[in-house]
Amino acid sequence: MPEHIRFTRNRREFITDAFCGFGTLALASMLRAGTVNPLAAKTPPKPAKAKAVIFVFMAGGPSHLETFDPKPLLNKLDGQKRPAEFGEAKYQFITSDPRLMGVKRTFKKYGQSGIEVSDLLPHMAECIDDMSVIRSCHGDMVVHSAAQYQLFTGRILPGFPSMGSWMLYGLGSVSDSLPSYVVMPDPHGALEAGQPMYGNGFLPAIYQPTMFRPGAKPVMNLDLPKGVSLEQRRQTLNLIKGLDQANMDADDDEFGARLSAYDLAFKMQTEAPAAFDLSKETPETLDLYGVGKEHTDDYGRRCLLARRLVERGVRFVTVVAGGGPGNLQWDAHDDIEENHIRMASQTDRPVAALIKDLKRRGLLDSTLVVWGGEFGRSPEAQGGKGRDHHNLGFSMCMAGGGIKGGQVVGATDAIGLRAVENPYHFRDIHTTILNQMGLDQNDLSFLHQGRKERLTEIQGQVIQQIV
Amino acid sequence: MPRNLFSCLFFIAAALVAAESSIPNEHYTPAERKHWSFHPRTQPEIPQFATASDRAWTKNPIDAFILAVLQKSDLAPAPKADSATLIRRLTFDLTGLPPTPAEISAFLSDKSSGANAKLIDRLLASPQYGEKWGQHWLDLVRFSETDGFEYDTHRHDAWRYRDYVIRSFNRDKSYAEFLKEQLAGDEISKIDEEMRIASGFNRLGPLRKNAGNQEVASSRNEQLTEMTNIVGSALLGVTLGCARCHDHKFDPIRQKDYYRIQAYFAEAQPEDVPLAGPDEQAAWKAKAAPVEKQIADLKKAMKHLDDAQKTAAEKQLEDLQDSLPEPLPTLFSVNDDPAKRSAIHVLARGDYQNKGDAVAPRPLGVLLSEGIPELPPDVPNPRKQLVDWIVDPQNPLTARVIVNRIWTHHFGRGIVATPNDFGRMGTKPTHPELLDYLANEFVANGFHFKALHKQILMSNTYQQAYKTPLWSAGQSKDPNNKLLWHFQRRRLDAEEIRDAELAIAGRLNLKGGGPSVMVPVDDELIHLLYKPSQWQVNKNPEDHDRRSIYLIAKRNLRLPMMEVFDSPDMQTSCPRRESSTHAPQALELMNGSLSNEMARKLAERLTKEAGRSPSKQVDLAYRLVAGRSPNEQEKLVALGFLEKQPLAEFALAMLNLNAFLYVE
Repeated sequence: MPEHIRFTRNRREFITDAFCGFGTLALASMLRAGTVNPLAAKTPPKPAKAKAVIFVFMAGGPSHLETFDPKPLLNKLDGQKRPAEFGEAKYQFITSDPRLMGVKRTFKKYGQSGIEVSDLLPHMAECIDDMSVIRSCHGDMVVHSAAQYQLFTGRILPGFPSMGSWMLYGLGSVSDSLPSYVVMPDPHGALEAGQPMYGNGFLPAIYQPTMFRPGAKPVMNLDLPKGVSLEQRRQTLNLIKGLDQANMDADDDEFGARLSAYDLAFKMQTEAPAAFDLSKETPETLDLYGVGKEHTDDYGRRCLLARRLVERGVRFVTVVAGGGPGNLQWDAHDDIEENHIRMASQTDRPVAALIKDLKRRGLLDSTLVVWGGEFGRSPEAQGGKGRDHHNLGFSMCMAGGGIKGGQVVGATDAIGLRAVENPYHFRDIHTTILNQMGLDQNDLSFLHQGRKERLTEIQGQVIQQIV
Repeated sequence: MPRNLFSCLFFIAAALVAAESSIPNEHYTPAERKHWSFHPRTQPEIPQFATASDRAWTKNPIDAFILAVLQKSDLAPAPKADSATLIRRLTFDLTGLPPTPAEISAFLSDKSSGANAKLIDRLLASPQYGEKWGQHWLDLVRFSETDGFEYDTHRHDAWRYRDYVIRSFNRDKSYAEFLKEQLAGDEISKIDEEMRIASGFNRLGPLRKNAGNQEVASSRNEQLTEMTNIVGSALLGVTLGCARCHDHKFDPIRQKDYYRIQAYFAEAQPEDVPLAGPDEQAAWKAKAAPVEKQIADLKKAMKHLDDAQKTAAEKQLEDLQDSLPEPLPTLFSVNDDPAKRSAIHVLARGDYQNKGDAVAPRPLGVLLSEGIPELPPDVPNPRKQLVDWIVDPQNPLTARVIVNRIWTHHFGRGIVATPNDFGRMGTKPTHPELLDYLANEFVANGFHFKALHKQILMSNTYQQAYKTPLWSAGQSKDPNNKLLWHFQRRRLDAEEIRDAELAIAGRLNLKGGGPSVMVPVDDELIHLLYKPSQWQVNKNPEDHDRRSIYLIAKRNLRLPMMEVFDSPDMQTSCPRRESSTHAPQALELMNGSLSNEMARKLAERLTKEAGRSPSKQVDLAYRLVAGRSPNEQEKLVALGFLEKQPLAEFALAMLNLNAFLYVE
């Protein structure tokens, strides 16, 4: 693992280049101390189309073949060996005698753009004119953890900052009572790459994600301990401030910052819960997301919460679909049909609702919605009915945030093995996301261990066709 | 080969005049070699002072070097800290714990001239010293008791290395020995348990394991990378890891240098040395056999199950695996296996499939004269060869780097502010002569830490107050206090906050050593683990009150309370903790379960020891929490609160105060 030597910095050095995130030094003390206000949202260096990103992360690797990338030839070659002209591929599990497997889903053209989408995703298909489908994605790794690191951080190892942390570092926060970079994990459990894939890596700790917990109270420590009233805590807060002030100089900006952190904490405690409360949503909206319906309730709630957060200025929200054992993710090694029908039934409607809901509220123009997993799935069968991991060619989608709708980008070969036309790597996805947020991969850097580190390891390119 | 490389190699002085190497790219220009940290240490002269007051202030050479630079910048040191401040500062600094009221009273009433020295000696001799300074080392070597990555498998015996580190500090082991044991303990002795435990150092990095087709070569390459990079950052203080993919962009470290260092590790293989005798092992196998058979059978059966059945079977499998008998004790170690020696090549872009020239062991070229050949690839005891070079008294980096680390932890900022980077992109030393002086002394005294601590702690530089009448002058000329015109206030580290809360509440369990403890945490956090059954809370609640260094260091689950106060992620070397300030910290201390529980205990203690008088309760609370009496205003505010509000809320407020969280 490359070294990550934490930068030695005292607080003063730290704030001059770092602060703008969730729960940092509050404005008042900074102004009092006569320093620049590091809390303010930063103006993006380039014209920005998007203000926020919602990444609906399909964990485990959804099949491109069963969703956005129809391959009729596969059905013809079902059960046969891959013709040599398609070249080699390395899988994680499939070893001997791999056989191609046809697709049981049916595809239909949707919208004015007439883009083909499979019957697994009827709701997302309704939004196709707002979406760009990138059929030529590829990554470097075929195992979950490394591929997940690359998808989130641009590197195949833990320890690097994730997209969300970079975003926060580059753009700051416009909310002072909500965390600005939120991850909502799937309540079924953790993913292989674990917490480090979402993390701030070597960026200062203030850029770390806030991991939401399942249930109505997603943020830790926002609740008062049992038997303590809010009024009581207000008194205690005043005592803390009174005692601190009794032993500090008026111009002590570090202690001033601590006082402000207490004010902010109290503000969060009183105001943030309203953002988490879905009961104010209309029945129609709840229904749109599938809240209260058997398969969609959980993911629908989380997508709806993502919209509520973005409305309130949160920059980056990752809503994870899939967690725990592989088959509770899109990781369909055993039976692609059973797995994908189930995973799609949980996510299709909520994701489509998110796009539609953002659009009707006028938020889609400024909110970039990204759909995808850490890789796609193999054209060959695994164990007869399943598909193995596959990183050489797969699909991701983008909607909103200035992305042109109704576009298909690139193509895989005739069996969906390899991205052959306009291939785009994760680094290009990253570059495009940064671009929509008004950021540039070369400018958004952090001097670390003598190196200007950035999100993309190798220079990425903006997918010009869709911006 | 001679005993060590230095008998045939020369450092810079000789190298500067050496002939050019004929090997392209292996030549180091005089300009490259001139970088300060690659030069041999100088023998700096200790500054002398004309005035009596300056001479009086310069209690030891450290003060002389500091004062000389301050005066050059037209600055003056702060007055001496008062005794109450000093004992709190020293006690946290050396033990990570607050002084008890009794210790404070004893120190305040000791008016003898040797009171400070006596206090420092007592603290250096306490077992808590090793627990505090051992943690600094564990941060540096990214110690953890789990593999990291998806499975985050527990390394059941890694705690022995933690105890080894604590023991080494407490015994004031020479740093040279300390490094030899860690890099090459197994080569020094195969049968000495201490040596085998120490060399577990080479296995401390994260370890990737994945299901399915194993990438054996890739995984070996990652292990070699971990072993190599830590030598650069933690021991040599150079960003060696940068040269893994290409020649170093800023420092004279070629990609070939990187792989030559890696070649010292080519034979190193992980080994779990069984501690149990043959009978015990046989008994374990007998006990495990039926479960293992069940597991094997179930795995076979699972191939024919449908998905619904399979999910249930997976759960069953996990239960079975958990029901295996506790693994027998082993030593988490390494050994050399010549048969498995990895061929070391320069790897283009660090890609293990992209092999360039084969290389063999050799130290960094910029520190050698030109044209020094590699050692044979099969040189016996290769890591011993490497560490002998590292700890050679003439190595210009090692001693400077470690004394700078000690200085960093005492003052919050190093003489070199980038403790893991003494290269061109690192910061220059603020006091280069002082750094060389300290390194020279350290080497001359046999690489012992305690003498170095004492010299630093006895200096007037260290004993300055935080506050000074010359504040505004200092602020305008040196706002970052690089020149040390006053003592740098610091926030307690995460472990110190937890340990001090327990101590103040009267709950701290000072039991040392042994297997690590898992404390109760929120179900949601456990649920986020890939394998929630990994988190097995210790049954004895007294264990939950042990010092933080004895809590399990699990890469995929850091206690939120520790994380929010900047505990390191254990993925890479952490030379210095961050000290961030943000609202989640306030939420943790106000609403978190630990601080609320400790506040209740503290309130009970106040009632028990100070009786019903609010005034006495406030006095005692301040002595416990801040190590001093409350000032008038504090007392007034506190008593006003207690007229109407509960004592537990007052106690909670105390655990939130700057007076608690900061050391002046």
